[in-house]
Amino acid sequence: MVSLARKNLFHDRLRFVITVAGVAFAVTLVLVQVGLFMGLLDKSTVTIRHANADLWVTSHNTPNVDFARTFPETAVLRARSVPGVARADNLIVAFMTIQLPNGAAEGTLVYALEDFTSWNLPWSVQQGSPLDLKRGYSVLMDRSAALRYGPFATGEQREILGRRFRIVGTTSEAASFTTTPIVFMDYRNAQELQEQLRGNTTYVLVRLAPGADAALVQAELRRRLPYNDVLTRNEWARQSRDYWVKSTGLGMSMGVTVFLGILVGIVIVAQTLYTSAVEHIKEFGTVKAIGGSNLAIYRILGEQALVAAVIGFALGAGFSYLVRPLMAAIHLNVLLSPGFSALVFAGTVLMCLGAALFSFRRVAGIDPALVFRT
Amino acid sequence: MNDRVLAVRDVTKVFDEGRQRVHVLRGITLNVDAGELVALEGPSGSGKTTLLSIMGCILTPTSGELVVAGRPVRSRDEATLRDVRRQSIGFVFQQYNLFPALTALENVEYSLNVRGTGGRAAHAEAKRVLARVGLGDRLDFLPRDLSGGQKQRVAIARALAGSPPVLLADEPTANLDTATGGQILDLFHELAKREGRGVLVVTHDPKVRRVADRVVGIRDGRLVDAGDEKAAA
Repeated sequence: MVSLARKNLFHDRLRFVITVAGVAFAVTLVLVQVGLFMGLLDKSTVTIRHANADLWVTSHNTPNVDFARTFPETAVLRARSVPGVARADNLIVAFMTIQLPNGAAEGTLVYALEDFTSWNLPWSVQQGSPLDLKRGYSVLMDRSAALRYGPFATGEQREILGRRFRIVGTTSEAASFTTTPIVFMDYRNAQELQEQLRGNTTYVLVRLAPGADAALVQAELRRRLPYNDVLTRNEWARQSRDYWVKSTGLGMSMGVTVFLGILVGIVIVAQTLYTSAVEHIKEFGTVKAIGGSNLAIYRILGEQALVAAVIGFALGAGFSYLVRPLMAAIHLNVLLSPGFSALVFAGTVLMCLGAALFSFRRVAGIDPALVFRT
Repeated sequence: MNDRVLAVRDVTKVFDEGRQRVHVLRGITLNVDAGELVALEGPSGSGKTTLLSIMGCILTPTSGELVVAGRPVRSRDEATLRDVRRQSIGFVFQQYNLFPALTALENVEYSLNVRGTGGRAAHAEAKRVLARVGLGDRLDFLPRDLSGGQKQRVAIARALAGSPPVLLADEPTANLDTATGGQILDLFHELAKREGRGVLVVTHDPKVRRVADRVVGIRDGRLVDAGDEKAAA
């Protein structure tokens, strides 16, 4: 079968390039923006996902994992006494100030535990070992900190809240949503640094015994710790994500970006398809005169929209995937999953077909008698 | 008559233009038989294109009868009219109306696709009719690379494809030089005589008298010199 749709589309190359570029631009905008957003959100729960705690005990209404609040560390004892709990440990998460060699002060997000290895924190150690944190005033520093703190190396020292700490190793992937670099240190050292941390913790990590009913253990912990919140790993991750999405306007901003991307795509595709339809009105009249129906013409326009959608998506998605390593080099994670890409593809097809509807209206009323007009 | 492929009887066409009613056709009766080439002549505004549109099932008459290939066309339903056009009528237009993005072969093949023939059958038929009009060596040429006469031959091949019994041509030589126009008229004559098609050519071209079996005039919506038409009906 001869495809008048494709032949017409490729015949006018400039218009075709504009149409495909419009679709590709919209696809890139949506994929990269949403990918960046998802990458940021991924950071907001990165420690929750990697720590192998089944339940998190937090102070009441803690909004997200980074903005921790203190409560008495003796809560861990009550947690340990609950049937079904295999292990429970205190975790301190706290913002502190680090002094840089150039004299500047920067913020740092401290994660402090008594036994890091039991909780898979940190999960990606590049140099040194979490066991080294037990040796005096020492820290593991995430490599992403180099962006904020400048270059650093194992063996160097940095001052945190007036106390000198030796960098005994480095980690990777431990970057917080707030972009504040994460350092890992011993629990007691962290308590020593801040008055309000003495005798207090910010979280209790709870691991269930094999076969224990998570809901029952959670309910019992809530009963025994009435001044705390007890959340499953998923609940806590969702709450942390929701805080950034809903409370900061990021979600709305992302929604507007996606909407604008789709709008740009629709306008460009609709405009080029409509112009093309108007310019080919006499051809469509001929199709009707020789026996073609409106449906046959809708198919032509629909096929053109579909071709533009497929090629535009391929270019846009290809560009988005190519740009990921470049973004990663500046520590921006563009998170693109096959599922989300498939969703954007379906959206692109719908967007282009929707744009073609404007042309449908124009060609629906074509009078085949126009073929006799000169 | 068994070999009558196209007939209109007492056809009128009235257009409403605002508050005015414009009578474009006033009781036209005209027949075209298989193997006959009929020329329809008339000045601008005489109603010849409207008559051609009605005989081609593109417009419906206000009153009167239309019979195409022995099939009375009473319905005003677009699907029925489309079906008649698809099965029985081939059109040749003054401006050729070829699809610029399609080659000569594809232009013909596409029209066969629209008529319901696809695949290899359409491909073979398109090649056959293009060879028939003398363009067997121009199959892959785009319209822009063809001369006016060659374009009109492609348009004729497109009209011939699928072997419709009726060919309707609207000013087919208007955009051609004298020699080429003459060749095109000879081709219509040949198609009528050798293939037994009924051909109606609307034209201003006096050369058509050389090849036409009959010349019918139309003035102000009425046939002139058409007394024999009424008698024949």
